[in-house]
Amino acid sequence: MNIKGSPWKAGSLLLLLVSNLLLCQNVAPLPICPGGAARCQVTLRDLFDRAVVLSHYIHNLSSEMFSEFDKRYTHGRGFITRAINSCHTSSLPTPEDKEQAQQMNQKDFLSLIVSILRSWNEPLYHLVTEVRGMEEAPEAILSKAVEIEEQTKRLLEGMELIVSQVHPETKENEIYPVWTGLPSLQMADEESRLSAYYNLLHCLRRDSHKIDNYLKLLKCRIIHNNNC
Amino acid sequence: MKENVISATVFTLLLFLNTCLLNGQLPPGKPEIFKCRSPNKETFTCWWRPGTDGGLPTNYSLTYHREGETLMHECPDYITGGPNSCHFGKQYTSMWRTYVMMVNATNQMGSSFSDELYVDVTYIVQPDPPLELTVEVKQPEDRKPYLWMKWSPPTLIDLKTGWFTLLYEIRLKPEKAAEWETHFAGQQTEFKILSLHPGQKYLVQVRCKPDHGYWSAWSPATFIQIPSDFIMNDTTVWISVAVLSAVICLIIVWAVALKGYSMVTCIFPPVPGPKIKGFDAHLLEKGKSEELLSALGCQDFPPTSDYEDLLVEYLEVDDSEDQHLMSVHSKEHPSQGMKPTYLDPDTDSGRGSCDSPSLLSEKCEEPQANPSTFYDPEVIEKPENPETTHTWDPQCISMEGKIPYFHAGGSKCSTWPLIQHNPRSSYHNITDVCELAVGPADAPATLLDEAGKDALKSSQTIKSREEGKAAQQREVDSFHSKTDQDTPWLLPQEKTPFGSAKPLDYVEIHKVNKDGALALLPKQRENSGQPEKPRAPENSKEYAKVSGVMDNNILVLVPDPHAKNVACFEESAKEAPPSLEQNQAEQDLANCTATPSKCRIQLGGLDYLDPACFTHSFH
Repeated sequence: MNIKGSPWKAGSLLLLLVSNLLLCQNVAPLPICPGGAARCQVTLRDLFDRAVVLSHYIHNLSSEMFSEFDKRYTHGRGFITRAINSCHTSSLPTPEDKEQAQQMNQKDFLSLIVSILRSWNEPLYHLVTEVRGMEEAPEAILSKAVEIEEQTKRLLEGMELIVSQVHPETKENEIYPVWTGLPSLQMADEESRLSAYYNLLHCLRRDSHKIDNYLKLLKCRIIHNNNC
Repeated sequence: MKENVISATVFTLLLFLNTCLLNGQLPPGKPEIFKCRSPNKETFTCWWRPGTDGGLPTNYSLTYHREGETLMHECPDYITGGPNSCHFGKQYTSMWRTYVMMVNATNQMGSSFSDELYVDVTYIVQPDPPLELTVEVKQPEDRKPYLWMKWSPPTLIDLKTGWFTLLYEIRLKPEKAAEWETHFAGQQTEFKILSLHPGQKYLVQVRCKPDHGYWSAWSPATFIQIPSDFIMNDTTVWISVAVLSAVICLIIVWAVALKGYSMVTCIFPPVPGPKIKGFDAHLLEKGKSEELLSALGCQDFPPTSDYEDLLVEYLEVDDSEDQHLMSVHSKEHPSQGMKPTYLDPDTDSGRGSCDSPSLLSEKCEEPQANPSTFYDPEVIEKPENPETTHTWDPQCISMEGKIPYFHAGGSKCSTWPLIQHNPRSSYHNITDVCELAVGPADAPATLLDEAGKDALKSSQTIKSREEGKAAQQREVDSFHSKTDQDTPWLLPQEKTPFGSAKPLDYVEIHKVNKDGALALLPKQRENSGQPEKPRAPENSKEYAKVSGVMDNNILVLVPDPHAKNVACFEESAKEAPPSLEQNQAEQDLANCTATPSKCRIQLGGLDYLDPACFTHSFH
């Protein structure tokens, strides 16, 4: 019987092995279900919980980074005056109080959040590059910048997932404000350069707070039906 | 002219200033906005500090403009926030937008402006303290009692829509204590405290903070009295647990103490000492040599390729009549150039290098006058009665009466001859020796074959008159086995008790009979190079009977008068080279069985066994 069964055994083992290998490839380090999956195993609640955790974390990092930068380079020198109207995302129609936020529809809200996140991809990338290239690069600031860049990408992925779940029919809207502050970061004049960094970090702190607040709003609205 | 005008002007101004100062009226000092706070992210209030008072009523106005706008606005509400404050209502409050504001103090004398303050509502959030803190002691029936506290969020904060997120913290302490015990409560509005001091009065407070912002002030303290019977169960439980643990520990210690040894031996098994299979020390002590010897089983001997190696261990027999013996030997074996073996000074296990047949030629450098040395395991019978004739070959009989005794560590090799008055000796039956020698080449010659077995039932021990002198007693294990071979032993030599320092007898383990009894042969003087003269006492008077045990480690063997005559010697072994071939051994064995006398070499009355003979017999 051994002689008879062995080719079958070998064949089934081989089949099992091959299928495992193929499946293993699909086990990507995606903690949540990949986009496009018909049935997502992660609930919307979990997605929102996760998004809120990320946004909260990103804002904490941004706040710390701004405080450290200001304390070290620009404190008391009135750089705030030059930070007025310096954010590249100010063109987006973001709600500025509770009433406006509650009046905004869910879909637009989500799209808005995604746009903000997308618009920050490039500035964060350049921020990391430029800070790294500084002489005596401040390690605390650099490490936070790196972390913020990383987590923002993950948050964006999560948001895209949420959008695909809540509004699957949403067309991908790739329009987002473009940041053009790179030349300012590379200016030779120290005052100007510092001002550019200050503005960038100032805007990052603000926008990360916005996103955090918006997500908490949406979470209570979508998951808990305004009954947090 | 000009000078006069100038001086006059200055004088006038100074006069005016003097007048004003005397009046105490000045333009107001510069105010300062020192704090802005938003309790709920929907409104906020700013407070300023007025500058020096100019002595005149001063009006303050706060003006601001917002980021992205150019229009200046004035503070919408100076009242709600209290004096010197500006309150911004919901419609005036925007998040994520910088407010640039300034306070203007004006009086009759003038006005002054404060510095511009850049304010973003996002970063000035500080809620009010939580409200309605209630604390009570709850004591459920089947559970431990605890302190239960509950509060509510401050008013005007919108938690339901998620616009605002609050985190709480509580703290408590006994009334008289100095340090507060603080606990973070997260977003929940209730809390349990489990560990409290009974009978004390506690203060409890709570505060809150937004997800990103400042902590509120502590709420007013709430007092609570803990009843005296609070949390007594804890102590009782711990006491019982401690007692139980102590009892268990005691039991474990007791068990370990009792069975510690067995446990230790289980973990660290004792190194087994050398054991002779079938050898029962108790039987030995009882003196029942027959049972003892019969209980002995076969032993495997380390293989030797050389038949000489079969006769590794010898019990060297030596006594005062050494000279005589030696002369006898020389008489009988003139051609033999055997060197007398001398006892190895080592007393451990009796193994003398000298006694090893293979080593004899190397180590036994003391040539003896008496050439009659033979390292074959020769049976040296030591009849208890000097007059007793043993069963040896008549030629050996000349050795009768000579009791070989153990060499007391002497360096002199002793001869084999029987010396009656030797204190003790162990004997190998010649047959046994024969069989041992003829056995497997790898086994030293103490195996017995069936034929020899009969004869070597017992070993004779010579009890000399001096035996009682606490001569050292060797432990001789008699090995009797059909097939196994025993290494001939050289029994450890100790000091002879005799005043004459007679050497002790060496006994060679000749064979092991079927019962595992060791048959011992008194060792003959060895000739290192000529083992080819088998000696075979006709009699099988082997010292295989244990007469007793002396000093707890010395076996006193006596010849067994009932031992059968065993003579199994190979005639051809005389000429055979030390190494024997198997077939020849078999042949020898057959010969052994058939013609016991073949192996015997009669040399002047002494019987010698050819080790080759033994080798053969075992194949």
